[in-house]
Amino acid sequence: MKNESLVLSLLLAAGVAVAQVPAEMEGMEYETRADGTFLIGGPTFAFDRVMGAGGVHSESELWSPVKLRDRLLFNRMSGTPSWTPFEPGVWLKTGNELGDLIYQDFITAKDDRPENRTPILEGGFRSPAYMGLWATARFFQDDHFCSGAYNYRRDMVDGNYTHLGANWAMFSSAYGGLGYTNSLVNASVLAGEEYVWTYTASSRWIPAHYKPRVEARADIKDLSVTVAYEDIEYENQYKSENGERKEVNGSVYYKCGKACEKGIFQIAAGMAFRAVDDEGTVYTELEEDRVAWPFMELRVQPISRLTADVIFGVNERDWLVQDSIQYNAPAPENMGVVVGVKNISGTRLNPLADTKEFSNHHEIDLTADGQMNLIQAYASYVDTLGGVVALGGRGSLWAEHGAESFETEKYETEWYSNSPISVRYGNVSRINDWIKGVTAELWLNTWYRDMFKFTAMAGFEHINGPIDEAEVTPAEFYTGFMGDWLLNKTFKISHSIRYRSDAKWNLRSENPMVVKGDWVWDASFSQMFPKYGITLTGTLMHVLADEVMETVNGGYDRIRFICQAKKTF
Amino acid sequence: MGKLKNILMLVASLALVAFAQSEPKNVEDIAFSHAYLGLEGGEVYPFGDLIDATDNTLYGGLNFRYSYWENVDGVVMFHYTYFQPRPDVVPYDGVHQASGKLGLDWKWPLISPIVVGGGFSCNWTRADLDDDVIKDEIYNMPGGTLGDNETEFGWYVRLNLIAWNFKDYRVGFNLMWEEIWTLPKRSNMLYAGLYVERKLW
Repeated sequence: MKNESLVLSLLLAAGVAVAQVPAEMEGMEYETRADGTFLIGGPTFAFDRVMGAGGVHSESELWSPVKLRDRLLFNRMSGTPSWTPFEPGVWLKTGNELGDLIYQDFITAKDDRPENRTPILEGGFRSPAYMGLWATARFFQDDHFCSGAYNYRRDMVDGNYTHLGANWAMFSSAYGGLGYTNSLVNASVLAGEEYVWTYTASSRWIPAHYKPRVEARADIKDLSVTVAYEDIEYENQYKSENGERKEVNGSVYYKCGKACEKGIFQIAAGMAFRAVDDEGTVYTELEEDRVAWPFMELRVQPISRLTADVIFGVNERDWLVQDSIQYNAPAPENMGVVVGVKNISGTRLNPLADTKEFSNHHEIDLTADGQMNLIQAYASYVDTLGGVVALGGRGSLWAEHGAESFETEKYETEWYSNSPISVRYGNVSRINDWIKGVTAELWLNTWYRDMFKFTAMAGFEHINGPIDEAEVTPAEFYTGFMGDWLLNKTFKISHSIRYRSDAKWNLRSENPMVVKGDWVWDASFSQMFPKYGITLTGTLMHVLADEVMETVNGGYDRIRFICQAKKTF
Repeated sequence: MGKLKNILMLVASLALVAFAQSEPKNVEDIAFSHAYLGLEGGEVYPFGDLIDATDNTLYGGLNFRYSYWENVDGVVMFHYTYFQPRPDVVPYDGVHQASGKLGLDWKWPLISPIVVGGGFSCNWTRADLDDDVIKDEIYNMPGGTLGDNETEFGWYVRLNLIAWNFKDYRVGFNLMWEEIWTLPKRSNMLYAGLYVERKLW
């Protein structure tokens, strides 16, 4: 039922996955991808647009049922910080952005000191089940990218605003809880404390201190229920402001089970909801303090080659439809050809998000009148040659009218301890014009048993229309090369080297911010001891690239090294 | 241009296939089938511009070695070093360094009894401050950033010369080149030490 990227599903069908370099934190997989425009502001914000997806929005802006257990951070569904319990085991992670001074400090003048480099830290466990019962606890915090509006953030809050250290990390999270698992039920209750900085429409970072956050989940056969209670404190020391939000959010979801999947009509349905109670100064508002979002998923498969999918949600404020029709054309053996049409229409990409932001006495309306329509036609093929090489390609045409954007009324630069931040005021708006795009992507996979895999890929997109009115002008071109070795079944080396051409933030600063095209190299090394369930992994991330800011007021994307030790039970 | 060369080399290396492997099928059983604990001590020589930063110094610590593949061992090392800064302006006597290293040793039969190895290192440092020194007051002086814990990662390669084997004991030399990923420049050091190792199982 998932509206997955076709590229990925075809690659998977060919038995070759994309890069296996692990992301520094789950939910941040965009940082190891080649196939699109991925601009990182920090662990809690990224513009993540896969080239083949079409439209001007990024993936995390669009609500969909597969993201029901992601976190809603402002208007985005974020995989980070994730509260999904890990598999039973014990694990430790540490790492650092490369480039602290250490002994170089003895011979480096104060003015030549590089900016402080910051770590990543994690530790946790989940016990084996005893009569179905298990316990888990996890502390995790990502201090990378913390240079984003650092001075502004540091003095905005009281204290270090993290569980550990003094880097004003973009998030710092700790939780513990109990669960129960048997063949019918998988349930857990977790409680913890969390610090999160959220990036908003005005380009400010808003600090939120969850004390506590409690989340309960239950999967009973095909029914999934999630309920979270959040007591969130807001503060702004510059203005001596304080606020508090008590929020309950969650979802009920009835999936299409095994019996249902056999039918011609496959139906799933659910409801996502939020209710908030604000006191004092809270920097966003949810209209009427509540939102309920009933939705339905329908798949019709009249013949095995033809599939029609619809995801439809509606409430008194918004509606959103995502549908596709896909035909798996007859093709010679070892070859696959798929043609399809995809459509997204709606009044809002994320109907669960807050409706207003308040920023320095300005009110920013986060909803726009009217609706957006995105239509895309695509064709893709994959051809395997001799069981060791696969060639694939995908082309698409898309057109979008009424794309969500931002109408800026005023830009301002604010200074904090000699560091500027750019803020903007205005309202969420629409591009009342057609933007059209054409994409072409090609890839080649080759592999040798389970020992070696290599992927080369390239993509090109040409966009026509007023793309400068969109938040981001995506990259025109990418190329990526990934190689994975598995030596003696116990030592894994994964590489990924890739290039993205220029991308541009059009609307977040008076002069558009160009994120220059660049090469990036990631490499990961894992020693595995399958008999003992132990894996030791070291990962070098974003080597070769210039260390740049990829988002207005965001952190620097620096070379970083992350190591992890994990033992599964 | 240097960057382009690196990129081309990387792409070429990505396209290489790992060649035939001679390990037996039950490679998973070799891991941890033998393990050794060693004591090591020796001298550290800073290289490059690090010579101006610190004096030569001594190091010591523990090594844990375990069988991984038939001709490859895994190595975990914990070494302690006390570095004394050379410039007089540094407001303390020295810096504690605890270094953890994780890597592989390859017993290449051709050059036996020399074993070559390499891996990653993680170096934790903290200045040896007197009780009356206030960290914030020295922060802007040379070495001031080490008033708080600082950690930096790096890599090492080593030559391990086995000098003497007797029953469960082994004595050897360890010659190790380490680079830690510091800025404004990387920090390079050479470790030369002697170790005694006992077989655990």
